[in-house]
Amino acid sequence: MTGLRKRVTVGFLSIVCLLFFSGMVSFLELSHLSRDTGDILEANQRNISLAKQMLDAAHEQNVALIHLSVFGDQSYDSLCRACMTRLENTLLVAQQEAVDKSFLDSLAFATTDLRLLVDSYLAFGENEHDANAPEAGSKWYNNEYEALHTRVTSAIKAYMTSTQSSLAPRADQMRKNAYRAVTPVLISLVVMIAIVLMLYYFMSIYCVHPIVRMNKGLDDFLTFHIPFAVKGQLKDEVLELKERIDTLISMTKQPKF
Amino acid sequence: MEMRLDVVLRYIGVVMLFIATFMLLSAGISYFNGMDSAFYPLLLSALLTTLLGIFPLIFVERQEQLTTKEGFCIVVGAWLLACVVGSFPYLIWGGEFSVINAWFESVSGFTTTGATVLNDIESLPRGMLFWRMSTTWIGGIGVVMFALVILPSMGRNKLTLTNVELSTLAKDNYRYRTQVIVRILLAVYVGLMIISMLLLKLAGMNWFDALCHAMSVCATSGFSTKNASIAYFNSPAIDWVLIFSMMMAGVHFGLIFATVTGKRNNLFRSEVARWYFGMLLLGGLLITVSVFAADLYPTFFTAFRGGLFQFVSLMTTTGFATADTNQWTSFAIVILLFGSLVCACAGSTTGGLKINRLILSLKMIRARLSQQQHPNAIIRIRLDGAIQDTESLHSVTVFIVTYLLLILVGTVFGTMLGIDLMTSFSGSIASIGNVGPGFGEVGSMNNFSALPAAFKLSNSLLMLFGRLEIFGLIQLFFIKWWR
Repeated sequence: MTGLRKRVTVGFLSIVCLLFFSGMVSFLELSHLSRDTGDILEANQRNISLAKQMLDAAHEQNVALIHLSVFGDQSYDSLCRACMTRLENTLLVAQQEAVDKSFLDSLAFATTDLRLLVDSYLAFGENEHDANAPEAGSKWYNNEYEALHTRVTSAIKAYMTSTQSSLAPRADQMRKNAYRAVTPVLISLVVMIAIVLMLYYFMSIYCVHPIVRMNKGLDDFLTFHIPFAVKGQLKDEVLELKERIDTLISMTKQPKF
Repeated sequence: MEMRLDVVLRYIGVVMLFIATFMLLSAGISYFNGMDSAFYPLLLSALLTTLLGIFPLIFVERQEQLTTKEGFCIVVGAWLLACVVGSFPYLIWGGEFSVINAWFESVSGFTTTGATVLNDIESLPRGMLFWRMSTTWIGGIGVVMFALVILPSMGRNKLTLTNVELSTLAKDNYRYRTQVIVRILLAVYVGLMIISMLLLKLAGMNWFDALCHAMSVCATSGFSTKNASIAYFNSPAIDWVLIFSMMMAGVHFGLIFATVTGKRNNLFRSEVARWYFGMLLLGGLLITVSVFAADLYPTFFTAFRGGLFQFVSLMTTTGFATADTNQWTSFAIVILLFGSLVCACAGSTTGGLKINRLILSLKMIRARLSQQQHPNAIIRIRLDGAIQDTESLHSVTVFIVTYLLLILVGTVFGTMLGIDLMTSFSGSIASIGNVGPGFGEVGSMNNFSALPAAFKLSNSLLMLFGRLEIFGLIQLFFIKWWR
């Protein structure tokens, strides 16, 4: 493959490559964007789910402790322990999954304090708790437990909101990336337009114009017997064509026997 | 002879391939830095630029002879297209780069202005930082000059392209053929960069920062890898190394070569060099006294270091900063503005009016006064011993007038957009002189990010005017009438 054919092939192959390239880049960028969106949604959902589980555990423990301390109902002892364990386990999962663990620091401290308080109360209750003296239990609940419970629930809510707010910059970045995703494609298209224009220009000056000139030269020769002479720079197959026409004309001028 | 656009496109294509090579190099740096986020944008840009460059090479055959008009179109076209493709990696990478910002950063890099629109340079990945420095390094000596040196197959066309790329003033001091001049330029340029890099490493920078700052300093660009520029390092050793490197980058490269090789027309015998070093020292001292008297520095020596650094930085059009010059005295600011206006020697990588033109202007004033006193006297103006013909003196005058006129236009346009006078005026001086920082909102510790897009565009145009010595770009608008 030489000359004109090679050049035309290379020209069109370049355009095909760029088209393929633009398509691939669009596909990759959109996949990336889709994955990012999925990640943000999943993180959001997971954060809400974990916070709900922790709030449920804290609430159930609160109810169990009211029964235990105010009404002296010892059957809630195991529920109270189970809720504490549930809260701690959920916190552990949240800590493992969190990208920024600092959001969970205050919750972890509050949960540890709660564990110590509840454990000491339950240990005391097993030995000396008097079901007939509900005032002491109420006093403990109001003075010691309630404040800590509020601290824990506030920390859970803070974790929920802070994680949500940490997702906002990611979402904002993604919004910008959506615009960025098309930038490589747009640039590829601009380059493609430039290449198409160049191809058009080169085809015009190396192929179309010489053929038009040759056509006119032949027409002049046939109509007015003006010698066939094509001006301008000719190359490749077009030059070969011109040379063959010259040969043909010289052959027609030779006497016939 | 009619201009052959296909031939022009072919040679611009060569320059594009050369730029694509640097994009690939930057992508390589990105790859070795753990495939940072710049790898893919740089690779993609390299592929697109290669396609743009290789296409005309396939279609158009090599030509033995170029006309001056074609040479001019190749040089100006290559500069403009280099700025366009240079913005591709920024655009694809994203971050703070909008279309206008990417164009501004690219033009600022290739014209070695060193002004930036980035608030957080340190957040750029290493590959992108290296690409920023590459643009400035390629632009330092001229995009076409680089291609001329690297590509051996240009033959006689080298002469035509060199004549367009290098001004007459820049070619003074050379007594060689074009081919040799081009090689000398590159040898001095690369040599200066290597020496600066080694000295910066010895002064305490890491290898990457030393390389980047050496590339920036020998191109007198002022791009840094740090948000606080050189103030980040807070090192007297680094400051002194950079003062030396900036001073040398502002000298005519032919003089440096002659000095190193022991030739007669060396640095010590040059009138322009004497003026240059004298002005640097005088300006540095005046600023030192001013800022020391204003209690801005604790000791005279630190004031001298800070004052000299800033004056050398602005006069050599580098634009590095070790201090917030907005806080300096009005007198110091005026001296710095004067430095930004005059700039360093012709034949170096610096932009601006050039000290050669200032000397010739002063000599013309003196000659004019003498002529009035002695109307019949024949007064000749010499520079470095060479008699300057009327044509040269006329072109100097026209250049200075046009230069000042463009500053005026830039300033008026800025104020029209609601920008304060100091920012607009100093921004225009800094852009057309390829200096980088100005004063006000575009001070040494600020950048162009907060300014309107129209001002960024007008200033990027001024940068190109400055880099192409004004008339190079103006001619493009009248190419149709050029016979």
